[in-house]
Amino acid sequence: MNADIKWLDDPEVFRVNQMPAHSDHAFYLNEDGILKGVNPLVQSLDGEWNFCYSVNSMERPADFYREDFDKSTFDKIQVPGHIELAGYDKIHYINVMYPWEGHIFRRPAHSLEGKVPVGDSFSGAAYNPVGSYVKCFDLEPGLCGKRVSIFFEGVEQAMYVWLNGQFVGYAEDSFTPSEFDLTPYIREKGNVLAVEVHKRCCAAFLEDQDFFRFFGIFRSVSLRAKPALHVDDMWAKPLLLTDNVSGSLSLQCKVSAAEGVSMEGCKAKISLLDANHESCFEKELPLSAELSFAPEDIGTVIPWDNHNPYLYTLIIRIFDAAGELTELVPYRIGFRRIEIKDGVILFNGKRIIFNGVNRHEWNAERGRCVTMEDMEFDMKVFKENHINSVRTCHYPDQIAWYYMCDINGIYMIAETNLETHGSWCKFAAWDMSWNMPGDMPQWRECVVDRARNNFETFKNHTSIVFWSLGNESYAGENLAAMNAYFKEADDTRLVHYEGVVHNRSLEDRISDVESQMYTKPWDIARYLENNPKKPFILCEYMHDMGNSMGGLKSYMDLLDKYPGYHGGFIWDYIDQAIMVTDEVTGEKVLRYGGDFDDRPADYEFSADGIMFADRTPKPAMQEVKYYYGKYE
Amino acid sequence: MANMNNTKLHVVYGDATLGLHGEGFDYIFSYGGGPESIVIDGKEWLYRTLKPTFWRATTDNDRGNRLHMRSGMWLSADMFLPCRGVKVCIDGNEELPKAPMNNQFVGNETAENVSITFTYITITVPETKVEVTYDITPDGKMVVTAHYFGNEKLPELPVFGMRFIMPTKADGFTYEGLSGETYPDRMAGGIPGIYEVEGLPVTKYVVPQDCGVHMDTEWVKIYRSRVQSNVGRDIKVYGTKEDKPLDRFGIQISAHNEKFAFSCLPYIAEELENATHQEALPPARRTVLCVLGRVRGVGGFDSWGADVEDAYRISAAEDITFSFAISPIKND
Repeated sequence: MNADIKWLDDPEVFRVNQMPAHSDHAFYLNEDGILKGVNPLVQSLDGEWNFCYSVNSMERPADFYREDFDKSTFDKIQVPGHIELAGYDKIHYINVMYPWEGHIFRRPAHSLEGKVPVGDSFSGAAYNPVGSYVKCFDLEPGLCGKRVSIFFEGVEQAMYVWLNGQFVGYAEDSFTPSEFDLTPYIREKGNVLAVEVHKRCCAAFLEDQDFFRFFGIFRSVSLRAKPALHVDDMWAKPLLLTDNVSGSLSLQCKVSAAEGVSMEGCKAKISLLDANHESCFEKELPLSAELSFAPEDIGTVIPWDNHNPYLYTLIIRIFDAAGELTELVPYRIGFRRIEIKDGVILFNGKRIIFNGVNRHEWNAERGRCVTMEDMEFDMKVFKENHINSVRTCHYPDQIAWYYMCDINGIYMIAETNLETHGSWCKFAAWDMSWNMPGDMPQWRECVVDRARNNFETFKNHTSIVFWSLGNESYAGENLAAMNAYFKEADDTRLVHYEGVVHNRSLEDRISDVESQMYTKPWDIARYLENNPKKPFILCEYMHDMGNSMGGLKSYMDLLDKYPGYHGGFIWDYIDQAIMVTDEVTGEKVLRYGGDFDDRPADYEFSADGIMFADRTPKPAMQEVKYYYGKYE
Repeated sequence: MANMNNTKLHVVYGDATLGLHGEGFDYIFSYGGGPESIVIDGKEWLYRTLKPTFWRATTDNDRGNRLHMRSGMWLSADMFLPCRGVKVCIDGNEELPKAPMNNQFVGNETAENVSITFTYITITVPETKVEVTYDITPDGKMVVTAHYFGNEKLPELPVFGMRFIMPTKADGFTYEGLSGETYPDRMAGGIPGIYEVEGLPVTKYVVPQDCGVHMDTEWVKIYRSRVQSNVGRDIKVYGTKEDKPLDRFGIQISAHNEKFAFSCLPYIAEELENATHQEALPPARRTVLCVLGRVRGVGGFDSWGADVEDAYRISAAEDITFSFAISPIKND
């Protein structure tokens, strides 16, 4: 197959040759890999890559993927990172409006009653920058002779991949992993990996998040080698039973074997260890491509919650026919139960209160390319200030964050990468004449795929209470299809979506909770006093822009009055502003939208955190700590 | 000095000013505008006349709920405030001792109680009045009482208080009140205590805006170690030799009847208002102490229209009175 630039324009092409989304489990050859902290099955490709910037696809070096292509004119760039922050393309912050507002006239393909053709609005645009990345590498010994895939944790916004001159695949959905099988093309020495990243494709209509508009390979890239027998996907479902004392566990795995390897006579041994490494459950199954067992009683368990985020360790060991261990998969899981009863969300049988924040990934010097240290710091801030829940606004975060939330007992709204407010909120007024993703069948699969990517990747994370369809994307049949997907895929969690409040005809098909944003306290009371259909949460409230956070008490008081009110998620955790060196004084200063000759801009509207962009707390933090502590 | 005991004030009946002196303090009130000089132990504390203040640098939320569009006239009232009257009361005598009537006095006049009141007329439409009274006792304590006359035709006030502009940037301040930056609708998390603040920190909101308010304060002590006076410094070589700080010296503001709110920053509201970035603020060279009788809440339900809750807004229709005391720092 050859790559086609027209895929940029066609919403029905959003993944080509990508491996199916799967769980984010780590896998090892044996215990050694875990203990040493170095996994010989994984090879990082982070670091310096060759790079060429082009302003549009016509000017890009289209044949740069060829092994004999002369890369002597290419620059160097750090991966991961945003291309704009490396100085190639304009930094731009805009909130609601699509980023081409006033520059390019666009309507989504198939919109306006199907009158808009697919066209070449992205592939043929005079301004739609391209980053052409090349990385040459040799395989590390641990990967040689095995099936090898390449794992991109996040690439914004459309990506074509080649290896050794062969086309490998294409991906959109900037914030979930894209993985491609390299086995047919890879060699031990002298591999040439070529990645062409386009700033925008038609998925830009789905990724209109209120943030700095970046592109590039902004999360880590790694190679992964699969042992001869490999757990491709796993879903462990630990459940706290209705007696709130005992637990059950079920497991579904997809297992694959290297070419020529049979599963005949192979075994899977599953064990569950408590925090003291004592075994509480063992199971042995003959190996098969679909490995699973129905819920089994575990007996008394220690439930997982915010106060005591008790995790067990599930270990899946795969043995070959000779009884040799070929793969080991550990995953930390917690027992808990989420349900709605009599209009109240119960967590382990008790009403849950969300003392939450919305958290964008942000680092003032690195943009959304956050580090482990940033995440660890954020988690410490959460714990110190009684923040018990987080909404991953408005896209899935780096994988490590989900593990941290499991370990630290943070309740999560796991949001899908979708936001389209520019398609229906125009100049502060609503206009649904075209709205994304709306009802258009041509846009259904791509948004359901985003839901699937989110679910499949993160389904094992105990911290996830809600799957969220996205943010501010109005509500049409395509949102309903996403909701249906999650309901079908997962019977242990709830579905969250706010935008259906603007189209109540779909409220029985979208969202298990009444989720609103910035609703005044008295209007919440009115909702809850008038036969509410659903429990109520505020997915965004207390807009902490500048000197703000006044009146929090009025929301906290609702918790005492209405069992169906479950709290909310402060907007938001951290200011998004960029640290630069002041051209006048030479000091490090924070800049915001409009400071980069970027127009139209929304200026300081992205600085709404309870933390400043440099990760120092705003004075409002003590207020958050007080009230969130009081209702902990 | 003629009177060096603590029982009487030494009064200087000037032609344009009224001077009040005692052990460790020297105050001069200009008939044209208000207190022009507050000297404690030889150190000047006023750079410009102490005056009422009505404006705070708009916050993002203030702009969102269009406070500035409704109440913008208070910005000009804050910047341009004519003084339209002065009254004195010296040991019960209310006759204004200006020229030539003051020719009757001599150099060692004394008094036990002096009260001086300035009347300001705002340039709002319609106008209103603020009276500020200073009651000074021989120990040097000065009680300041500001009275705003309400007018229901006026838009709500962003703030009401008294603003000191001090000649040099303070080293810091100590206060007894609540931790952190607090506002009427954001003070539950403030922990009561005595807090020492280094320097004059401007909270680094990406767009400079009102900040640094401390609610429910018993007292605040401001410390400086720099003066503008050339005494002891060779002004011809200003800047060419090390300008050594003096031993630190201070002034105290204390609650009188009720606790007060204050902010202590290196900028007036208009300087903060004009800056789009922290680095656009001028170099910090003064101390601006606002002692606040009423503080508008910051709000936060949203930043695009939601107003501050009613209880935390300042109606311009009703009278406002508040007082505080200025004194030298004792036993420090």
